Amino acid sequence: MTFSGKKAIRYFLAIILIFSLNFAIPRAMPGDPLANLLGEDVMLTEESIAELRAKMGLDLPLHEQFLAYWRDIFSFDLGYSYHLHSPVSAIILSRMKWTLLLAIPSLILGAILGTFLGALAGWKSRDAGQKFETGLVLMIYCTPPYFLSLLFLYALSFKLGLFPLKGFYSTGSALDIAHHLMLPVIVMTLFSLSRNYMIMRGSVIQERGNLYAAYARAKGLYGEEILFRHIFKNAILPIITLLALDFGFILSGALFIEIVFSMNGMGNLIYDALLSRDYPVLQGSFLVITVMVVSANLLADLLYSRIDPRVRWQ
Amino acid sequence: MSMRHDINAPILQVVGLSVRFETPLGLVHAADDVAFDIYEMETLALVGETGCGKSVVASAIMQLLPGNAVVEGKALFSKMDLLKLEEKEISRVRGNEISIIFQNPSLSLNPIIEVGEQIAEPLQVHRKMARRESHQVAKGFLSRLGLGERSLMRMYPFQFSGGMNQRVMIATSMILSPKIIIADEPTKGLDRALARDVTSEIEKIMDLTGASLLLITHDISLAAMISDRIAVMYCGEIVEMGKCKDVLREPLHPYTCALLDCLPERGFKPIAGASPSMIDPPQGCKFHPRCPYKTQECMQKQRIRKIDGDERQVRCWQY
Amino acid sequence: MAGDFNRVASCKATEWAKILRLDMRGLRIALFGLLLFLTIFILAAFSDIFAPYDPWNRFEPFLAPCREHILGTNDLGNDILSELIYGSRVSLIVGFGAALMATLIGTLIGLFAGYFRGLMDETLMGITDVFLMIPQIPLIIILAAFLRPSFWLVALIMGALWWTSTARVVRSKAMQIRETSFIECSRSLGFSHMHIIFSDILPNILHVIMPKFLLTIASAMISEASISFLGLGDPTMKSWGMMINFAFTRGGFINGYWWWYLPPGLCITLSVLSLVLMGFSLEEREEETMRIE
Ligand SMILES: Nc1ncnc2c1ncn2[C@@H]1O[C@H](COP(=O)(O)OP(=O)(O)O)[C@@H](O)[C@H]1O
Ligand SMILES: [Mg+2]
Repeated sequence: MTFSGKKAIRYFLAIILIFSLNFAIPRAMPGDPLANLLGEDVMLTEESIAELRAKMGLDLPLHEQFLAYWRDIFSFDLGYSYHLHSPVSAIILSRMKWTLLLAIPSLILGAILGTFLGALAGWKSRDAGQKFETGLVLMIYCTPPYFLSLLFLYALSFKLGLFPLKGFYSTGSALDIAHHLMLPVIVMTLFSLSRNYMIMRGSVIQERGNLYAAYARAKGLYGEEILFRHIFKNAILPIITLLALDFGFILSGALFIEIVFSMNGMGNLIYDALLSRDYPVLQGSFLVITVMVVSANLLADLLYSRIDPRVRWQ
Repeated sequence: MSMRHDINAPILQVVGLSVRFETPLGLVHAADDVAFDIYEMETLALVGETGCGKSVVASAIMQLLPGNAVVEGKALFSKMDLLKLEEKEISRVRGNEISIIFQNPSLSLNPIIEVGEQIAEPLQVHRKMARRESHQVAKGFLSRLGLGERSLMRMYPFQFSGGMNQRVMIATSMILSPKIIIADEPTKGLDRALARDVTSEIEKIMDLTGASLLLITHDISLAAMISDRIAVMYCGEIVEMGKCKDVLREPLHPYTCALLDCLPERGFKPIAGASPSMIDPPQGCKFHPRCPYKTQECMQKQRIRKIDGDERQVRCWQY
Repeated sequence: MAGDFNRVASCKATEWAKILRLDMRGLRIALFGLLLFLTIFILAAFSDIFAPYDPWNRFEPFLAPCREHILGTNDLGNDILSELIYGSRVSLIVGFGAALMATLIGTLIGLFAGYFRGLMDETLMGITDVFLMIPQIPLIIILAAFLRPSFWLVALIMGALWWTSTARVVRSKAMQIRETSFIECSRSLGFSHMHIIFSDILPNILHVIMPKFLLTIASAMISEASISFLGLGDPTMKSWGMMINFAFTRGGFINGYWWWYLPPGLCITLSVLSLVLMGFSLEEREEETMRIE
């Protein structure tokens, strides 16, 4: 079997396994599966409960329920939220765009800045200024993103009044949205930067000891020329997949940042669902995030096999 | 091969070069009071067993040693002391006026850059030549080394054999017509036929570019084939130096004799005793623990004896 | 190299000093991390001695820092400094519990995959790749939501999810060691696989497991703080994440009571930092010694 064939099977298995886990959780957890599927504190009469039980197929044998579960997934049916009175897929769709609005620019910025600054930090790891910078980044690396958000919000919005306190928009114009997004994007960028930075720094430190780097110097390349002509690409290749694996963690960070900035995205959706125990919403969000994380990894794998000649020529 | 060096001034003068490495196990004395000259268009061979410090000397001249190295001495090249130059200044010399062919070509080439680009790189870096133009030149050089096919320029080192990578390194080192080429074990790991090919290619470049060659090798027969002069190194020191013919016909230092006795045609006689530690080398002559002719003096002091002016020198009390 | 070790004996005293200093270079940072960590550990172990009050005791609520309450009191009137000191316990217990379990699983899987290779390796590494892709925080949120939170549960879930990177490192190291002549020798002497794995290979990879273990504690601590911030923390224990959550949801943040949420946040950062410093510098040292060999 080819390298990529093996990979494809693993992605497929990952999706199947995580989705099955999602099927099993409400049924295996303590309590009435119906309550676990509907969410708690949903006020219903006796008859409608029996009716719902039949409608959701909970009186069917498990394997039939399992098949029905997959049928629903393939028709993008993630259940119904009795708290929000709306299909879960519609809710997630409307909330997701705000999360992406926050996450995508920050992830891109964080990846670019993180890898470049990290590469420089690894290249000059003995330089005092670099050490100070690495120390700062390490502090951010060790801080939970929500606390970082609180600090920034306190300093820049409360104290200095530079940014609005909460939400995605007040008037709805593009400029206004951008103004509201600025601070969360900064925090999120710093967070994703710090992780990419540390990974890239380590990789460059490892690569710069290789003979080809010494040979580049022997050919007359000077300083950062060696880093950017020779080491950078070699250092980033082995970590592309590592960076993608971190994507799930960074995305989770976005959820917390949203909560602190009271933004109407997935983070607050999950937070509110948690407070009201709106299980369908929680589960639907989990599935959507899983699909995003797995796709990011798949993308990274494809990218990797395209830019590493050693894999491309196999 | 001609002996033009008698009339010319040396282009590289190495004087009193010492290199020590600070390691967790102690100071490693990798090179000690090394001195030699290289003249225009000549080939000087630096021979000695693996680990005696040959590569360290080459790297020291190019300022390529790692940070734990302490270097003393001088390396005079066109009125500059290479060892005192700033990194920026020495980087203009490297690959441009003095180029080096590393010991392990397959690891020295960047694994994910096309070989054509790697050969052309010195042109882009030193001459600021455009990419396309530099690739044209690189292709010309590759085909002179028998790798003329167009598609080879776009291949990667992992698709090449060791010998082909060696030729890529040779092409890279000569592309700017440097004054000196340092070849570190160019035939190590190659079979006899390939080694002969590479050797003749090196000779071809020397004729082509008029560069001088510092040939570093543990293989005396290779040195005998292509060098004008030989310097024999033992434990970080040059123990004997002279014209290739003279040294091989009439070796003076007991170590040179022992080294020649190791050759297959002289009966494969191994040298008695073990190589000394470079952390704590023997006092006096470093070869004395293994030397059949040692005297009391040998254990305390060293002496460099010069014969025929500067033509021949030997580090031994016998002469 | 081996011969050179004998020479060390003849080294002069001054050179010894140099050797020690050289070797310390990587460790100074680790030592700083260790010191920081020990401070937190001692605070956790002897919370009842260091804390001025029982953290559940109620005084006047919303007090600003004063002599009796150095960091003031929260909305319920609990002394914040005492909460802070007791909060270190959850952090450490969850961190250690999760990391212990994750390291155990990761080491076992890595050892078996690296030693037996072939089908065993394919299967185990396939499972590892699948586990790597599970979005861990969202999964922990869901499970904690269904199960009513308790700190050992959070630790258990994290431990069951976080063994993957340890498994990968242990596997590649085990593969290397498997090829050494010393293992060949054990095999030809007829020792059982289990004997070779646990008494020949395992002791030789403890030094790569250690930094992974420390970094896993750090990850678990930061995640515990995040879970508690969502209100999924154990309500019977004080925790730093929960303190920030209360400050955030009960007006401490809006009113600018920095003494309520700043100290727990700093505590999280510092304790994670202490472990990360130790883990990273041990890892870097490990890489350097590998290069010298
Ligand atoms: N970076 C270094 N740190 C410590 N010792 C070194 C270093 N580089 C080389 N050495 C030591 O210097 C000696 C000479 O090495 P080298 O010049 O590579 O030998 P060779 O003659 O085979 O080219 C060896 O004993 C080697 O262990
Ligand atoms: Mg060498």
